[in-house]
Amino acid sequence: MALKLNAINFQSPKCPSFALPPVASLRSPKFFMASTLRSGSKEVETVKKPFGPPREVHIQVTHSMPPQKIEIFKSMEDWAETNILVHLKPVEKCWQPQDFLPDPASDGFQDQIKELRERAKEIPDDYFVVLVGDMITEEALPTYQTMLNTLDGVRDETGASPTSWAIWNRAWTAEENRHGDLLNKYLYLCGRVDMKQIEKTIQYLIGSGMDPRTENNPYLGFIYTSFQERATFISHGNTARLARDHGDLKLAQICGTIASDEKRHETAYTKIVEKLFEIDPDGTVLAFADMMRKKISMPAHLMYDGRDDNLFDHFSAVAQRLGVYTAKDYADILEHLVGRWKVENLTGLSAEGQKAQDYVCGLASRIRRLEERAQGRAKQAPRVRFSWIYDREVQL
Amino acid sequence: MAAVSATCIRFGTSVELPVRANNQIIGKSSSLVSFGWGKTGGFPCIRTSRLQICAAKPETVEKVSDIVRKQLALSPETQLTPQTKFTELGADSLDTVEIVMGLEEEFDISVEEENSENITTIQEAADLIDKLVDKKA
Repeated sequence: MALKLNAINFQSPKCPSFALPPVASLRSPKFFMASTLRSGSKEVETVKKPFGPPREVHIQVTHSMPPQKIEIFKSMEDWAETNILVHLKPVEKCWQPQDFLPDPASDGFQDQIKELRERAKEIPDDYFVVLVGDMITEEALPTYQTMLNTLDGVRDETGASPTSWAIWNRAWTAEENRHGDLLNKYLYLCGRVDMKQIEKTIQYLIGSGMDPRTENNPYLGFIYTSFQERATFISHGNTARLARDHGDLKLAQICGTIASDEKRHETAYTKIVEKLFEIDPDGTVLAFADMMRKKISMPAHLMYDGRDDNLFDHFSAVAQRLGVYTAKDYADILEHLVGRWKVENLTGLSAEGQKAQDYVCGLASRIRRLEERAQGRAKQAPRVRFSWIYDREVQL
Repeated sequence: MAAVSATCIRFGTSVELPVRANNQIIGKSSSLVSFGWGKTGGFPCIRTSRLQICAAKPETVEKVSDIVRKQLALSPETQLTPQTKFTELGADSLDTVEIVMGLEEEFDISVEEENSENITTIQEAADLIDKLVDKKA
């Protein structure tokens, strides 16, 4: 029974908390964005105040990788030093948030702020909803560093471990840290958003954490991060493009710079998984199929602002409508990774491995087909208030 | 005939139903797959006078079975009864949606979201199809 329970995905209801008809559904693009999972949970819960943030409802599986495979990662440490750490940028060569923000030491500081706010005035609310959601996601970095350190064989055992994997984890975190800082300062200065509500959302989100269902298993973990880095690259690339369209070239530069970091990280993670396909094709293809069956859940899917029980769904709906991150992107990323890792050409797989190979290779077109149907039937979505923009309404 | 009345009982949580755990509403529930403890209630077929009409036509059940077989790539030996749950046949949530899409194409009908969540067996699918086809006529 426990096995079957693991296999159940409960989809969140797509009704906004004030009971309008469902915004998204089984057949909508959001199906694959494995958003908030909520249901009557059988897991033991401590008594909490009502209407709190959502919780993961799947049973949390741990250490699913057979312990003997930890050896694989130990033996990869030298390879990682030569091939993965090279994708980190030396700190002296790195951009810092201050490079893109008004300079407090300059006489022109207040003018620079004024200009920033003038440009931001021209940018619509729906864009800010998406930018805020992205910023909140970035600011939940403690969760992601934690997640990397849950992975067997590659975790940072002491917080200062000298292994290549640990060096990567810390340096990756350090690079990512600048993203949240930069977006935070920009949003603070722009005057278009309610910082206190945003800060509250961040506090809730870090408190909630997330379980991407990687089960302490670095195969699953690195497949997940490969997918995610590409997703953030696409997403920030789109916010950059939209900022430019709205006439804010500085904001476009901010988003574009963040996107290029994500691209570099994607390169590193996909290289790790490529190596795993070389060393253990059967295990890796099984892991790939497993993650795709479970669906790649978005890092901020448990987001909550103290007001909206369906905050993540609403945010994703706007991101979908603006073309910042869509179900089509999900399918495209999957297709890209299948090609990048040459999954179609794998040979010598077990029977289970071949099934996994077939599943993964056929999945993108199935998703696209579903998405076409959903778009064809999409009904007019409601407008929803976001506390992040002082309860102003935005079209989902 | 016990089978007939059984098929009129729709399982699956209503989208509007608040879900409680430890006396606290943690959200609303809508299960993709009606299974085990996810159900919070059954909704008996209210149309008692139509109890007999709840039984779908055999040809419909047959066509549905074919579509399910094809979607799930079942071996010819696999036993299919009208009551078999798709999940028992190895269907994941994606398969279930594609089965419903296949049924829409085959029967030229449109299945509303609320209804599609209640399709978990061949019988349920066939019942809904006949109902929708009748409505069209």
